[in-house]
Amino acid sequence: MSEVDRAYVVSLTIPDNEAYTALTTLARMGLPVERAVRADVWIVNLDPARAADVDATVPTLEGIFNPNKHRLEIRSDALPRPGEVWIMPRDERPAITIGGRAVEGVRGVRRCTAWRLLDAHGGDVAPALLARATEMFLCNPAFQEAIS
Amino acid sequence: MSARVAVVVFPGTNSEDETLRALTAVGLDAEIVHWSRGAAGLRPFDAYVLPGGFSYEDRVRAGAVAAHDEAMDAVIAGAQAGKYVLGICNGAQTLLEAGLVPGTGPLRRPTAAFAPNASGKFQSLHVHVRLNVPPGRVPMLASLPPDCVIPAWASHGEGRLAATEAELDRMEREGHIAFVYCDARGADVPAPNGSARGAAALTNAAGNVLAIMPHPERAERAIYAPSGGIVFFAAFAAALAGAVAR
Repeated sequence: MSEVDRAYVVSLTIPDNEAYTALTTLARMGLPVERAVRADVWIVNLDPARAADVDATVPTLEGIFNPNKHRLEIRSDALPRPGEVWIMPRDERPAITIGGRAVEGVRGVRRCTAWRLLDAHGGDVAPALLARATEMFLCNPAFQEAIS
Repeated sequence: MSARVAVVVFPGTNSEDETLRALTAVGLDAEIVHWSRGAAGLRPFDAYVLPGGFSYEDRVRAGAVAAHDEAMDAVIAGAQAGKYVLGICNGAQTLLEAGLVPGTGPLRRPTAAFAPNASGKFQSLHVHVRLNVPPGRVPMLASLPPDCVIPAWASHGEGRLAATEAELDRMEREGHIAFVYCDARGADVPAPNGSARGAAALTNAAGNVLAIMPHPERAERAIYAPSGGIVFFAAFAAALAGAVAR
């Protein structure tokens, strides 16, 4: 039976207080970051024959997506973009529901958090700085892994 | 002179009242100190207790933001100077994220985690925990009898000790696992949250920092059946009295 991974990346269009708190902490640590951008990522292992149905269903799942305050990006490669790091639990078993609902065609769901750190010009910070922020704060390697 | 204990409150802490009540019930001079008083406001205290709750709304990771708060500079300095530091539940998560327990790595670079429960859910249930090291290994509880069993309430979503096998071996070998889950008679039981090695609490090498996930303060009074958690705080008070007298 063939399977495929897809990422549903949900970010806030309203101010993200958690990202702001992270930014404040990074500043206190002396890391020169101007803005922190965060997104919830749902990595869904699915039956490719049902991919279009799942794509259509996810935006209706109120538990993870509210069009009044969220933006949804669907990534067919289920990979972080350049400048992005995904923080993922290392040993969590995949769930079989997404947003608390069973969706036909979904075989497994893993959840992680995507972070991007921006400099004063609005561009991504240097990879070394992102790696340092990840190592010092964003990821606890005892139970999480950072994927970039 | 009696010891002065700061009950350190961060935004989102929610167990400060019952923690303060347990500390004062055993005769300690304790007061609630908000994070906004900063490290300077905390330095004069003889000991620190970080209560449970959801500091900074568990943003990024439970305890991670509080661990980097400026107020924690005083707690870390105090711990390094030998002051007693007790963290309960979210306070325990904060001490772990601050690197104070097990204390086997650099400060604020945790070598272990209180990770999400194996169930994936927040759990609230009555438990018992047993002292897993000789009482003298944790000076703040030195007057407890060996293998002492303490009732408490586990009430957390992230209380599962996680670390590499090598680090877990080290924690076990060097006596960092201060309490383990048990039944009312002290027999081992599987940790309800899936915690590695059955761990319910961690201490540092010197034994002056203790991070315990279940809440003994919620089993402090007789109205909270079954009660008995007060013995934990009585031992803490006895140790502090001795420390201040020295």
